[in-house]
Amino acid sequence: MKRFAAVITLFLVLLSLSGCGFKDIDKRFFVVGTGIDWSGNKSKPYRITLQLAIPSPKIEPGASKIQYETIDAPSIAEGVRMLKAYVDKELDFGHCKMMIIGEELAKRDINQSIDWMLRRRDIQSVATMAIGRPTAENVLHVQPASERYPGNALLLSFGADGTESSYNYAETLSGLSRRVTEKGMDPVLAIITNDGKESYVINQVALFDKSKIKMILSPTETQMFNQMSDHFTKASMHGMFKGTPMVIAINQLNSSFQIHKNNDPLLINMRIKMDVVFEEAPNGLFESPWGPVEDALSLEYEKATVTLLKKIQKHGIDPFGFGLRYRAMYPGPNSWDNWNQLYPNAKFSVDARVKIEGTGLIR
Amino acid sequence: MNERIRLLFAEAADLKTYTLRNKDMSIDIAYIAPLCDEKMVSDFITVPFTKEEVSYRKHLHTIPEYLKVEDSARWQDLLLRGNVMIRDNETGDIYSLFTGDVICNESPQTQVESAIQGPQIALSEDLNKSLNLIRTMYPVPELGIEEYSVGYISKTPLLVLFDQRHVDPSVLDNVRSKLSSISVDMVHAAGELEKLLIGKRRHLFPTVLITERPDRIARALGKGKVVVLIKGSMFALIMPASFFDFMHAIEDNYEAYWMTRVLIIIRYMSIVLTITLPALYIAIVSYNPELFRVQLAFSIAASRSAVPYPSYIEVFIMLFMIETLIEASIRLPRYIGSTATTVGGLILGQAAQQAGLVSSIMIIVTSVVAISNFVIPINSLSFSVRFLKYPLIVSSIFFGITGVAVGLFLYLCYLCNLRSFGKPYFRLHGKINPAEGDIGQVRTK
Repeated sequence: MKRFAAVITLFLVLLSLSGCGFKDIDKRFFVVGTGIDWSGNKSKPYRITLQLAIPSPKIEPGASKIQYETIDAPSIAEGVRMLKAYVDKELDFGHCKMMIIGEELAKRDINQSIDWMLRRRDIQSVATMAIGRPTAENVLHVQPASERYPGNALLLSFGADGTESSYNYAETLSGLSRRVTEKGMDPVLAIITNDGKESYVINQVALFDKSKIKMILSPTETQMFNQMSDHFTKASMHGMFKGTPMVIAINQLNSSFQIHKNNDPLLINMRIKMDVVFEEAPNGLFESPWGPVEDALSLEYEKATVTLLKKIQKHGIDPFGFGLRYRAMYPGPNSWDNWNQLYPNAKFSVDARVKIEGTGLIR
Repeated sequence: MNERIRLLFAEAADLKTYTLRNKDMSIDIAYIAPLCDEKMVSDFITVPFTKEEVSYRKHLHTIPEYLKVEDSARWQDLLLRGNVMIRDNETGDIYSLFTGDVICNESPQTQVESAIQGPQIALSEDLNKSLNLIRTMYPVPELGIEEYSVGYISKTPLLVLFDQRHVDPSVLDNVRSKLSSISVDMVHAAGELEKLLIGKRRHLFPTVLITERPDRIARALGKGKVVVLIKGSMFALIMPASFFDFMHAIEDNYEAYWMTRVLIIIRYMSIVLTITLPALYIAIVSYNPELFRVQLAFSIAASRSAVPYPSYIEVFIMLFMIETLIEASIRLPRYIGSTATTVGGLILGQAAQQAGLVSSIMIIVTSVVAISNFVIPINSLSFSVRFLKYPLIVSSIFFGITGVAVGLFLYLCYLCNLRSFGKPYFRLHGKINPAEGDIGQVRTK
């Protein structure tokens, strides 16, 4: 009898806990994309756009259905709470893998947005971050005809499942927040540009100081930046050899860097090794020795990269994490101050080693 | 003697009592006709008695099958076990002769634990035939056999088998004392005896292995385990047993190495699935849908949108259906059995989903639960595992994934706490060979 009573009590205690979080999957509205923009209005600075998925049992190209909700709000959390009044189901950010920040907002401050994302428990730390141009709202409204289910297209562009573009820089929420807080490593985000109406282009990255955009790289620089930061995806490279243009595909690329403190000024040495195959080559290359070609390509590559590094240095930002390495190698109470003095005058040297694996043809 | 015997029994038409007389002696004989082989009665008693080639008294003295009965209190018992009572009316000596004729299945095929290779013959319901099989497969002089009987009314004969060299004396003593302390009226099945031996009525896992395979028994004897045969049941009990014994199909020893290893892994995966899947369905669908991939989340959300009830009602509907279907197909006569599965399969597969009662994913969940339950090689474990999912479902309704994890943890604690005749039931370390079903616990101190 006592046992029975104990079981009943336990059950009653359990019952009092119910209702906390129990919400069936069909009573949830999955947010598949979140856009945060600068609205231009001082009292309600944030414009929040939510891309809501309408689930359908059919998953086929072009069958995705999306509902959009947009609101201006004084803060992001408030905006999302207000948006709940506009929809019939509970908003769930569990599947929101795409977080887009408007370019205008990114030029002001991204810390508020990142803080909100990190604090909300249902937003995953692996969510992909990007910049939307001209606005995040604009980018989210693009619906490619081939999209199979809501929010898939953008996600595929960034993930490893879909396209592997060498212009694309995928950054996760956790990665971004690390770069925002870590001394000596600055945030980088890809820019999604809406060209016209039906699609978007991702071929640029924006480099940040700790809170806002400092410089935007051109597509060519973006590709080079991706290679140098070891963010490698299959890439191609153009070059000239004795006046004939050639295109090579990079199969394998490793890059690393070292900091030499003994030099004055500080020397940062970057080593980039790549295995390449020709995609377009001058005739008769197979029989001629490859050594001079390799050297010429390496030299050209070195020149271009040093220019890029100097350009980034001039803006006073450090997306490669040189400062972090310096702090790790030369620790001490004032190592960060030392670095801040040394970095603006640091010299760069790049050591590129192009290795031709083949001409792409079988003889 | 005959008058006394008639007094001892109720008015029974099948109790036969005669007085026979020849030239030099007269005897009383009494037996219960259906229990005895009438041919044996005539061959051993009536024919030699009337022919008188040799004095029948000499028969009684020389042939060892005639046992002298001193104690009249044993008469009833002997008669009920198929003995013929013979009284030499001159000397007053009373003898008994066993002429029992037990109806049993003749060398049956394995049905519950079938194997493609390996012996196809199962234990018999008759103890002698079973012993014959076991002795043939385990021809060792050290094989000890002890006789017991349990049940005040049924007086079911039991045989306790063990290999004297290997057996752990503490286990053997434990079995002996448990067997002699059993006080019930009737025992007819191995499972019934198992419960009596364990003592605890409400156990979640079987701690005694019930098998019908003589090869499994021979292996168990070789490992020093104690085997109990029960008359009238074609199943034997092996003790002590570990959890891993129950997950071990005898064919793992006979078939190709790599595939059997894979099968063992699959078996453990499926036991986890069959226990957790319904609970995980509730937890993920209602608490943490972000655990699915996006596509799956959307298609579940879409297929659930027609379902009017919360996820746990859906789970209960489907589980009720599948459990009743399994139960029905076991109990039904074979001729109707296929009808039940067809109707059940159709209803479960199609109609329930089209009617919007359950989502299509739930049907997959249900069938995975049912199928992976059947993968467990020993029936008693698969039966008890069928229950384990329900407490997990309840905890997942209230606590989601945390509830499932805590529930599983509690199960593991319970398993680790279990003992089978004093030996750890869930022992993982030590000299283990789970593939052989041996956890090396019997012979170690």
